[in-house]
Amino acid sequence: MKIRKLLRILHRDFGYFIVAMTIVYAVSGIYLNHRHDFNPDYKIIITDFTHNLQPQQSYPDDEIQEIVESVQPDVVYKKHYVDNDGDIKVFIANGEVILFPGSGEGRMRYLQRRPLVFSMNKLHRATLGTAWKWVSDAMAVILLFVAVSGLFILKGKRGFKRWGWWLTVAGFIVPLIFVILYL
Amino acid sequence: MKKIALISLLAVILFACGQQPKTQETTVEAEKSAEVLSVDDLLQKAPELADNEVVVKGTVFHVCQQGGERCFLMGSTEDISIRVEAGEKLGAFTQEQMGSELEITGILKEVLTEADAHNPGKEHGEEEGEVEDAETAAAHEVLADNQAAAERVFFIEGMKVKEMTE
Repeated sequence: MKIRKLLRILHRDFGYFIVAMTIVYAVSGIYLNHRHDFNPDYKIIITDFTHNLQPQQSYPDDEIQEIVESVQPDVVYKKHYVDNDGDIKVFIANGEVILFPGSGEGRMRYLQRRPLVFSMNKLHRATLGTAWKWVSDAMAVILLFVAVSGLFILKGKRGFKRWGWWLTVAGFIVPLIFVILYL
Repeated sequence: MKKIALISLLAVILFACGQQPKTQETTVEAEKSAEVLSVDDLLQKAPELADNEVVVKGTVFHVCQQGGERCFLMGSTEDISIRVEAGEKLGAFTQEQMGSELEITGILKEVLTEADAHNPGKEHGEEEGEVEDAETAAAHEVLADNQAAAERVFFIEGMKVKEMTE
């Protein structure tokens, strides 16, 4: 079989196979790029509220639980502690609350996993254990193959030699400029 | 081509299953009868336990927001805490684990400072026959003094996690 024909077949079939992972890396890549603008894994809902708790040495669990549940009834109280400033830090399932006994103010940070994106980010970061590390390496090699093989598939007017080479070079130059400028 | 793809997929699935990753929910392995330490006790005994496997129990009071690759267990107060690195085996901690009581098995490690890494005593010691000039010797002495005076910091490389349910 001729090399170009084989390349075309492999590019096509591996290309189909790697579509899902490419989407995962691309979509999660966008979220992770913006990790300093927003949390890529969780949507954070902040609620400010007031309470009538007075400063004291310690606070019973049920009193804190009552306050937290008055803000949001379906919140699950875990535990709390008093920090060095005398403020109360409350752990809840999927979030945390801070109560300022002096001022009567409080703030709840409730976390909601971003559907699909949370899982994609974990795949992208390879924080799913040792097995995924090797599987994602294999996926990356396939993606590399699909990228490079694509250069050699077409012949003629729109092939790499007469058409594709300058676009490919431009694609290298864009990141190269950033590397030169910022590294 | 289809056969190759099918065989490859099967191989990947078998390989992945065969790895039996140590997930955070796994507790079926025969556990060592290691003493479970509180964070306070661990930090007190840390110098003698460094580089050994330890089991520590504590409340998670911070999970790194950038991917959850580390968390901090709180001791009796928020000033007493120990960092736990998730590492490859655990993958990552989740924000949902904040406030949870975790029992973590891992290797206790000491954070090496730059002075320690430089280690003037060994690197440029008499055994190598190296001769230091006065300025270098003085600099090394300052580094060694700083290292001796510096607070020793420890962390845990996590291997296994068990979430304690009440």
